[in-house]
This record gives sequence, C-alpha cells and structure tokens, in this order.
Amino acid sequence: MKKYLKYIILLVFIGGAFGFYMYNKPHKNISKAKTDLELSAIQLFADFENNEADANTKYLDKVMEIEGVVKDVTKDENGMTSITLDAGGEMFGVICQMDNLAKHKRTDFKEGETVKFKGICTGVLMDVVLVRCVEV
Amino acid sequence: MKISKLLLITCILFLGINLQAQKHFTRTGKITFSSEAPLEKIEASNQKATSIIDLETGKMEFAVLIKAFQFEKALMQEHFNENYMESDKFPKAIFKGAIADLTKIDFSKDGDYPTKVKGKLTIHGESNEIEVDGTINIKDGKISASSNFEVAVADYKIKVPAVVKDNIAKTVQISVNMNYELFKKKNDHLTQKN
Repeated sequence: MKKYLKYIILLVFIGGAFGFYMYNKPHKNISKAKTDLELSAIQLFADFENNEADANTKYLDKVMEIEGVVKDVTKDENGMTSITLDAGGEMFGVICQMDNLAKHKRTDFKEGETVKFKGICTGVLMDVVLVRCVEV
Repeated sequence: MKISKLLLITCILFLGINLQAQKHFTRTGKITFSSEAPLEKIEASNQKATSIIDLETGKMEFAVLIKAFQFEKALMQEHFNENYMESDKFPKAIFKGAIADLTKIDFSKDGDYPTKVKGKLTIHGESNEIEVDGTINIKDGKISASSNFEVAVADYKIKVPAVVKDNIAKTVQISVNMNYELFKKKNDHLTQKN
C-alpha cells in the first residue's frame, strides 16, 4: 500500500492543478483565435433577416471576420466602444462591441470608412450583435 | 420577417411625428446579474440590451442576447451558456410589460419617479408574470430607467446539479440600466444622410 501512496498523492496533485487551471481558464484571445467565417456585414444581416433560426445555427458563437462601412460609433460610460456597421437596412445594422480585454490600435472610427472586425457572433435583436471585437 | 420589418419601417417613417415622439429607444442598455452563493460569487454584464418605451401607453419591452453576457471567468461563461441557459436553443431573454402607474409620471418634468413595472419575463424558453420596482428618471427630456430585482432560477426551469448547489444562488439579482433616446432622432439622422 505504502508504495502506491506517492503515486496517489501525485495524481491528486495533478488533478488539483488541472482543476485550478480549468477554473481560471482565460477567455479566448480573439486576436489569435482562428477565424471560423468571413463575410460582409450586409450578408450577415441578410442571413439573419431571412431565417433567424438557420442563421443562429450557422453563426452563433463563431469567431467571425466582418467587413462593412461604419454607420455609427458610440462610447458608453466605461469607455467601451461599439461600432454599427451598415447592412443596407434603414435603421438596423451589425453592431460590433469592442473587446475590453484586448488592446486596440485605435478606438475612434469615422462614419463612412470601411473596416473589418473580428469578433464572436451572439445573435440578433434588432441589430446583429458581435461581442469582443478587434479590428483586423 | 423581411416584409414585416419593411412595413414597420415604412410605418415609422410615414406615420405622424406625434406618434414617433412618444417612443424612446436604446440599443446599448446595460443588464447585469449576480449570484451570491456560499461558495462563489458570479457576476456578468451585458451592454447590448435593446429596449423601447412608449410614453403614451407606458408599454416597455426589453430584449437581450444571452451569449452577449460577459463573465470574469471564461469557464463560468461557458457553463452559463451551455449547461444552464442553453443559449443555443434559447438565445434571447425578453421582457414585455407596462408601467403600472403611468399617471404618476410626468414625462415633461425633470425628476426621479419610482414606479412599478408589470409584465411577462421570458428566460430559457419559460415565461413568468413578474412585477418589479424601478425608477424612471427624466432629465432634459432624456429618459432613463433602472431597476433591481430578483429572479428565482427554478421559475425558469434552469437546472442546477446538486454538486454545485452551493456555488449557484437560488435567486439571482438582476440590475437593469437604460438610457433612452428619442426614436425619431435616429430617423432624422438617417434622412439627413440619405
């Protein structure tokens, strides 16, 4: 029995360390994450417009690169920037909320400029929402 | 879907300005929740809630994407989405209701108005009638709304395994903060551009 003891202790230790690591697992690093899909803001919005359920299965939780024209830029009280990309609709578009865990080259964008963001698609309310976005 | 949205937009554009002026809207509403259990405190926030308030009827609507909640720990976020909220199946939480005592609020006068809001809250595909206390704040014609309330996890058929029952509270504190803008404004802005 005694000769197994040190193995058991080692196992418990490894298990504990693994558990601790998992518990503190960092958020996905968006800049380094592999891009699952790449498309235009117009296409993304249209897909959600045409069939939300299908679009959900296709896009939810995916790391996406979305290209579009800046329609609106807002900053909230915590200094977090959100960019609305034009998607052809009168009122609604694709909102990219910039990642507050990443460092950004810039957070000021001009209306009308073409940009590309990488972020995680969370679905559609009135606009399609992407969170944790970084510029690419 | 497409046609209904087009219709809606046309209605908004062509109906009298009067009607538009009564509606206030936000797409950057903040909703946070916290669960304080003996073993663990879990907090998450979402800055992308949309909400609309109709001053004439007192109707309020809120919608939020479950996957847009950001947690401090990635693992918590994963469990939240996959095990508890099943956000692939139920991507949104929605509240539809109305201000219960609308007559007490004078939208033309600055101030804080405590109020009650009654309606149907849908989370995890389950709907419940709720009534919560909130505050409507009017300042220079801008409307903001805030509320803190509790939601029982069991009411929404969210299953918490016995092993983690000390990690997840039975009731979750929810706080809501909305800064509304006049609905018309956005249209003006767009028509100017076109």
